[in-house]
Amino acid sequence: MISCANPTNPYMNDSSEKSIWHLFVEGDVKAFSTLFKTYYSQLHNYGLKISGNPSLTEDCLQSFFVYLYDNRKNLGTITHIKSYLFVSFRRALLKHLKKERKFTSYDEVFENPNVFEFSPEELMVEQEFTKIRVHALTELLNNLSARERESIYLKYYSNLATTEISEVMNISYQSVLNTLQKAFTKLRTHIESEEIKQVFKIV
Amino acid sequence: MNESNQSLLEILLSDSSFKNWANQSNQNDMKFWNSWIADNPDKAETVYTAKAIITGIAFNKTVLSEGKINMELDAVLSQISSKEKKKIIPIKRTLSTGILKYASVAAIGILFIVLGNNYLNSSSEIIHKTGFGEIIDLKLPDGTSVVLNGNSEIKYNKDNSRNIELKGEAYFKVKSIPSTNAKFWVNTNDLKVEVFGTQFHVNTREKKTDVLLDEGSIHLVLQNGTTKKMVPGELVSFSKENNAVIHQKVTTEIPYSLWREGTYVFNNITLKEVMNNIEHAYGVKVEFIDEDLKQQLLTGGIPNQNLKICLSAIEKSTGTRIVQKDNRLILFKNSIN
Repeated sequence: MISCANPTNPYMNDSSEKSIWHLFVEGDVKAFSTLFKTYYSQLHNYGLKISGNPSLTEDCLQSFFVYLYDNRKNLGTITHIKSYLFVSFRRALLKHLKKERKFTSYDEVFENPNVFEFSPEELMVEQEFTKIRVHALTELLNNLSARERESIYLKYYSNLATTEISEVMNISYQSVLNTLQKAFTKLRTHIESEEIKQVFKIV
Repeated sequence: MNESNQSLLEILLSDSSFKNWANQSNQNDMKFWNSWIADNPDKAETVYTAKAIITGIAFNKTVLSEGKINMELDAVLSQISSKEKKKIIPIKRTLSTGILKYASVAAIGILFIVLGNNYLNSSSEIIHKTGFGEIIDLKLPDGTSVVLNGNSEIKYNKDNSRNIELKGEAYFKVKSIPSTNAKFWVNTNDLKVEVFGTQFHVNTREKKTDVLLDEGSIHLVLQNGTTKKMVPGELVSFSKENNAVIHQKVTTEIPYSLWREGTYVFNNITLKEVMNNIEHAYGVKVEFIDEDLKQQLLTGGIPNQNLKICLSAIEKSTGTRIVQKDNRLILFKNSIN
């Protein structure tokens, strides 16, 4: 998993990112554009995983970035830029979905089975974790709870650290670990029986 | 999953030697952990879960194309700059659109400093106004783009850029919002245009309003209360003064004039009417030396980025000479012809 480095921003290390953020707060449009280009694709994918609706996601991202620019003086001190963007975009998107679909609570958004649904194409054929087929693994992943799927998505798709995941999902560090543990315990149990099935099929 | 297992998981996940074992990347660490597991069989479950969390799931990541990202960035930048534009009018029309964009972007920083918090408290009405001969490209907060011809004005409430008032002449590309089906309205003195997402041209000069639809479908609510549905390629002209409605398909047979993004398109239009358009957009007064020139018909596209080019195009297509004196344009027959 370590070998799967973040492909999106090879030119931005932590300190250069901090100075870009600083320039952006000062009103530098170029710095704003750099942040936009670095994170747009990741946030777009994240939004799509939550809403399942490309045009809604794009509309929401547009107003999110406009809001970010307009309010850049009032954002306060931000330690993790990436998780900050994920948190605030998630909040904006949920607010939008709540209004639009007349949800009464944010939890209802996550009751939709399509939230954080994975497709076999999104999984690499070569998995270090397991040798079972990609389709079977996809199915197992999609049977996890929405929270478990989101934590897996944020950890392995968005490459966020556990502390950052806890910020984004607004749960404690320990809860992130618990969630991951539960998810992988389920996966491992199901994978074992899946492997046995595969062996029997071959025999 | 009891408390001690939980903390074991945390310890394992942050232990670099354990990570090496999980990734099978260090012989010594592998030896150590293999024997540790053999000694602690009751911890095996936690150990294998920790290993699974470290190796994790490998994803093929979708990355959007650079073109798509740049397109979205442009939309955001123009929304940012159009919010600022209301304070900086008029913009010199001689700037090419490229420079214009740059200039408006560059102006943002300065404006923010000058306006500070007053910006938020300023009037909720936003007005974009062009001077004579000035054309501006606007992106409204909802994503709709508007090209405002010279001597024209649009006005809307800050909270609702999908309900605007127009004086003069403009070309609209309304952004449709399928998720909410939100409508877009253009109000003129004579009528109201109701739109979902489409491209059309509205001209309110000459005490009437002309609407020409390029794409999509729109409803008109005329000042006299009647409604009209338009399909692409149709032209509706209505004047509340004499209550006259013209609703027809645009063909090469009928006379019409339209304007979009820097070009006038005239079809079977008399030179007199053509020059009326010029008068409105550039704030000039036209005089005909040869009266019969007024009825000469003109068909074709005339660029109107700048008055000089516009006039020379008219001269060439009609065989006239146009002399500019201060604010007056004097037309006469080209004696060489």
